Amino acid sequence: MKKNNIEGWLFVSPLIIWISLIILAPIYIAFELSLFNVKIIGTSGKFVGIENYIKLFGKSKFVNASLNSLYWIIGNAICQTFFAFTIALTINYKFPGKKIMANWIILSFIIPTVVVVVIWKLMLSSSSGVINSVLIDIGILDEATGFFSSPNKAFISLVLINSWRWSPFLALIILSGLNSINREMYDASKVDGANFVQQFLFITFPNLKSVLFVLGLVGTLLSFNIFDIIWLITKGGPSSATTTLPLLIYETAFTKFRISQAATLSIVTSFLLLLFSIIFIKSMAPKEDD
Amino acid sequence: MIKENNIKLIFLSLSLLLIILIFFFPFFWIITSSFKSPEEIIATSTTIIPRSFTLEHYNKILFNSDFFIYLKNSLIVSFSSMIISIILSVSAAYGLHKLKFYGNKFVEYSLLVTYAFPGVILLVPIYLLFAKVNLLNSYFALIIVNVLFATPFAVWMLKAFFKLIPDEIEEAAYIDGASRYIVISKIIVPLATPGIASVSIFCFIISWTEYLFASILISGDDLKTLPVGLAGIVGQYQIDWGFLLSGAVLASLPVILLFVFIGKYFVSGLTEGAVK
Repeated sequence: MKKNNIEGWLFVSPLIIWISLIILAPIYIAFELSLFNVKIIGTSGKFVGIENYIKLFGKSKFVNASLNSLYWIIGNAICQTFFAFTIALTINYKFPGKKIMANWIILSFIIPTVVVVVIWKLMLSSSSGVINSVLIDIGILDEATGFFSSPNKAFISLVLINSWRWSPFLALIILSGLNSINREMYDASKVDGANFVQQFLFITFPNLKSVLFVLGLVGTLLSFNIFDIIWLITKGGPSSATTTLPLLIYETAFTKFRISQAATLSIVTSFLLLLFSIIFIKSMAPKEDD
Repeated sequence: MIKENNIKLIFLSLSLLLIILIFFFPFFWIITSSFKSPEEIIATSTTIIPRSFTLEHYNKILFNSDFFIYLKNSLIVSFSSMIISIILSVSAAYGLHKLKFYGNKFVEYSLLVTYAFPGVILLVPIYLLFAKVNLLNSYFALIIVNVLFATPFAVWMLKAFFKLIPDEIEEAAYIDGASRYIVISKIIVPLATPGIASVSIFCFIISWTEYLFASILISGDDLKTLPVGLAGIVGQYQIDWGFLLSGAVLASLPVILLFVFIGKYFVSGLTEGAVK
């Protein structure tokens, strides 16, 4: 047993050291910075204690970005759940071409995010986008609309684009949960006269609980983290409507050069996410069956 | 019964159509558009079947831009990140799976939390840390970060693959006098090849698509990666669409090629046990 302990840690330690060094050292630096008043990188500032933290909560920008992040997470959760379940339940059936589709549905996830941005900038372009001309052709729109021109439209478009990227990946994970469900339960329920809506509600959904728990936790944190899609399409605009916390941190540090403020934001954000994770795990963790 | 089957069939066809339209058509669209004349790309009337065919955009990006420099940088960073990630995560996954050491559950949960750890929070402090130790503007800066983002999920997937290898094979080898090293290199790694292949793809993709850190940690033009190079064109006021589209297609090509050969391992790895 003792030999196992030492050997086990030997196998794990290279990775653990790598990860903790790259996460803990920066967090320490960020915390230190948040207590000072440093503006441009490389300069030193004076010690201000918790002043940065107190100021932060009074800033409308911070409140606005936090709300945007909240809407962003909720919007993405709804869209991605819908898309991912549609894909997973569809691929779970037998049809010609199923294998090819299951393999390639993940295409939107394996290409660089910048390419995702290029695709949707072209398709949603107000002057020559194919979506605009199709919507005009079938009579939904009278004239071309700018999908990123008003705050609401920009926000919704970004949520849909991000969901387009992530849903196929999530669908494959849901599919793995579906594969683990005992087929006999469906056959038995059919004998009892259950239709497929009832099957979904009373067999499929409850059996996916543990997969959905992981997706709920990891998915929320991952969507919170999205930066490049928003930054490259709207830069947080129009009028800060799409500035989520990650964009605010980036802006504060690298376009406004207020390093201490950005560090404070990072620390507060980590704390909020940690709080969310703990609450989520405490309240939603499925009971172990085995 | 027949009625219900019909409803199912209609639902299935509808959702298939929807999936193809939403998730596959955009790829058809940008690939065909990258061969269209500049006038047709920005034309207001849309034609599904292209009217023009030109190679001028590809010509321009291949022979009249920094494409190959960016490609080289992306390849170096992605391959190195992938190899380091695989070595670290095979070792860690084996330790977690086989050697039930004290604290293994804690390590496992910490890895899951790390997987979802928002990178943006680390952006500013990592920038400062790397500036202090003179790592800015180096491949290694990007490799360090990519390994951090790729390994937690890689360990998670690999553990599931190791579980599929029967314990008896390993025990038989020990009885024959094989050392731990021999067992891992001659038995575990060969038997887990599909798993290692799919995890490699995952690590490669993570590094290949990374934009945020690459855009901040690298400022020299000669070290920029493809996503950062492409983003430079996206940000221009007057977008040269043909140029941008051909660049987007070319930047996706390597991951797609990789996926052609080992993609099925990746997908079956994800759907047949990675989450258990």
